[in-house]
Amino acid sequence: MHKTGENVHIPDGYLSLPWIVGTYIFTIIYLAIAWRKAKRQLTPEKAAAATTLAAAIFAAMMLNWPIPGGTSLHMVGGALAAILFGPWIASWILALVVGTQCFVFHDGGITALGANILNMGIIDVWVGYLVYKAVRKVVPGEKGIILGAFLGGWLGIAIAGTAAGIEIGLSPAFPYGIEITVPVMFTWHLLLGIIEGIITASVVYYLVKKGKWVIA
Amino acid sequence: MGDSMRKAWYAIAFMIIISPLFGVILANMIGYHEPLDVAAQMLHLKDISDKINWTPFYNYTVPGLPDTIGYIISGIIGVAVVYVLGKVFFGGAKE
Repeated sequence: MHKTGENVHIPDGYLSLPWIVGTYIFTIIYLAIAWRKAKRQLTPEKAAAATTLAAAIFAAMMLNWPIPGGTSLHMVGGALAAILFGPWIASWILALVVGTQCFVFHDGGITALGANILNMGIIDVWVGYLVYKAVRKVVPGEKGIILGAFLGGWLGIAIAGTAAGIEIGLSPAFPYGIEITVPVMFTWHLLLGIIEGIITASVVYYLVKKGKWVIA
Repeated sequence: MGDSMRKAWYAIAFMIIISPLFGVILANMIGYHEPLDVAAQMLHLKDISDKINWTPFYNYTVPGLPDTIGYIISGIIGVAVVYVLGKVFFGGAKE
């Protein structure tokens, strides 16, 4: 069977109505605010680079590595986008990717689109960004950049996966509560997130080495 | 287009070309399930995605094409859509 969705992508039928409405409202308001902030930061060069990164993240998400035992791993890219562009532009990069996956390929449910953008485009982005910034404060220089990117990528995925677990677990329609969904989602994504951390750190390291990018 | 941007697009093209290896072939060999699906299965939850489908490219397939080719075409369509959206949104954001 080919892929039935992405890591962290919630399909239709998992979330209860209050969660569907709540995540949609929160995500729309956040994206409106993010758009106002992003607009001020976008130069023509950044706009072209952000478009390219969005396309690259879409392509990277198609490379899912199946793991024997019944799971898979692949890039999400929220932390990477946040480190390269800051969280406001990054959220829009992920929103465009996740929206395309949903509307064109039915990857992630339309009722869950608010939640999926919340998890990948807001939570992954902000956790990745804040972890990266925190590490850079403590660890100076290149080491801080690499370590920050690794931990940002890793923890961004772990927390985003956990958030999906919370949203599903707290949906009254769901037969099991967060005491089951959260540990399951957290454990999986804590493991899968290591690869995300390695890829995030590798791309950031490459761009820093080339000296072509000013990192947030 | 700058040199690094060109390289990025080569990388995107490369990823799309090899994507069926992971998204279709290996997935068929090993049996792909995402973590959420595994959790949902454990909980006997029903994924109702196929009952309310709205797109001909459901699950990165293209009607009438084998899964591998369909996956590549889907990748090209997806990248094209994201590119146009990026141009419209980010390109139009300049004040």
